[in-house]
Amino acid sequence: MRAIDLGMASCHTCHEVVKLPKVKGEGAVLCPRCGEEVHLRKPNSIQYTWALVIASIILYIPANVLPMMEVETFAGTQADTIISGVIYFLETGSYLIASVIFIASIIVPITKLILLSYLLISVQKKSPLHKKKRKKLYVLTEIIGKWSMVDVYVVAIMIALVHFGGMTEIKAGDGATYFLLVVVVTMIAAMQFDPKLIWDTEIQEKKETDARNA
Amino acid sequence: MGEMAEKIICCHECDELLRIPATRKEGRLKCPRCGTVLLRQKKGMVEIMYALSIAAAILFLLTNYFPFLSFHVVGNTSHANFMTSIVYLFGEKDWLIGIAVLMTTVIVPMIRIGLMLSLFGPIYHGIVPPYTIFALKVLSHSLPWAMLDVFLVGVFVSMVKLVKMGTIIPGLSLWAFMVMVFVMAAMQVVFDPQPLWEKVDQRRREKGVA
Repeated sequence: MRAIDLGMASCHTCHEVVKLPKVKGEGAVLCPRCGEEVHLRKPNSIQYTWALVIASIILYIPANVLPMMEVETFAGTQADTIISGVIYFLETGSYLIASVIFIASIIVPITKLILLSYLLISVQKKSPLHKKKRKKLYVLTEIIGKWSMVDVYVVAIMIALVHFGGMTEIKAGDGATYFLLVVVVTMIAAMQFDPKLIWDTEIQEKKETDARNA
Repeated sequence: MGEMAEKIICCHECDELLRIPATRKEGRLKCPRCGTVLLRQKKGMVEIMYALSIAAAILFLLTNYFPFLSFHVVGNTSHANFMTSIVYLFGEKDWLIGIAVLMTTVIVPMIRIGLMLSLFGPIYHGIVPPYTIFALKVLSHSLPWAMLDVFLVGVFVSMVKLVKMGTIIPGLSLWAFMVMVFVMAAMQVVFDPQPLWEKVDQRRREKGVA
C-alpha cells in the first residue's frame, strides 16, 4: 500500500506521516511537527528536473571549451581546459591524476545527466520495469554529484600554493565558473527529482486489473 | 488497545506505508519494497554523536588556525592556510568560485558541527533544547553541501601535481583536516535524526496535556 492511496504523505524533512485534506485548498499543507511544506509528490518535479538537466547540459559546453586554469609566468600565459589538462597528465605519465580528473570532471557529470534523463523518461512513460534498480540509480546520482567538485578544488588549491608574487601565478579561468555551475545545477536537479514517481505505476496497474476483473 | 501499540511510517523513497510496533526500540528496519533503510535505532547514538562532534569541533579549529601547506621552489616559498585559496579567489574577483569554496569547505561544515554539538550536548544531559526542530531542519538540508571529503581528494591531486615542481611541506592543519574528514564521515554514518524527532513529539504531547 502506498501512502498516496490513503491521501497521506511523509514530510520530506522529518519523515512525519501527514494526512492531507482531500480537497486541495488554498496554500500548502504544513507538517505539524517541523513546519515544512508537505506534498504527496514534489510539485512539478519532472518539469523542474528537466529544466535543470537541460540548463546543465548547456553550461557544460563553456565549461569544457573555456580554460579551467591559467598559469602566468614571465614567459607568458598558459591556459588549460579540462581535456587539455587530462591529456597533459597522460603525456607526462601521471596516470592517477589523469584518471581522477577524467572521472570527476567528465564521467561523473555526464553519467549524472544521462541517469537523470533516463529516470525522467522512464517515469514519464510510467515504465513498470526495474523499479528497485532505478531507485538505486537515483541514490547513485545523489551520491556521486558532489565529487565533480574535485577539479574546482584543485584549481583553488593550486591558486593558493603557486603564488610567487609576479613571478609565477595561477588564476582560475572562466571554465571553472561554468563547471562549478554545472555541479551545483545538477545537484539541485537531483534534489528536485521525486523518487516516489518511480513507484507510481501501481495505480495504473491496479486500475487495469480492476477493469479486467469487472 | 491495538492502535496504541502500532504506528504508521512511510518510506521516503518509494511511499510504501508500514505498520510497526510503537514500542520498537532497536535494530535496522528496511523498506520491504525498495530496500531503503527506514529506521536505524542504534544503541548509544547520542553518546557517540556527542563525542564525535566535540572531536570535530576541535579539529575544525586546528584546521583553520595552523598552516595548511607550504610549497618550496628554488628560493621561493609560499605558505597557505586552509582559507588562503578563498582569499586569493576573492582578490581576483572570482566571486562564484570563492563563495562556493567558502560555503562547502568552511561555512556549511562549521554550521553542521556547531549544530551537532549544540544538539547532542544538551540531549546527552537529558535536555531537549528549544531549537531542536530548527537544528534538525538545517542539518537535513545542508548535508549535500558539506564537501570536505571531496576537498581532501582535491588536496591529494594538487599535491601529486606539485610534487614534481618543488617541495611540499604539510602543516599541522593538513593532518587535523584529514582526521576531521574521517570524523565527519563517521558522524554521518551514526547520525540518526529519527529518535530526536520523537523527542520533539514527546515534548509536543506533554505541552498539549499541560
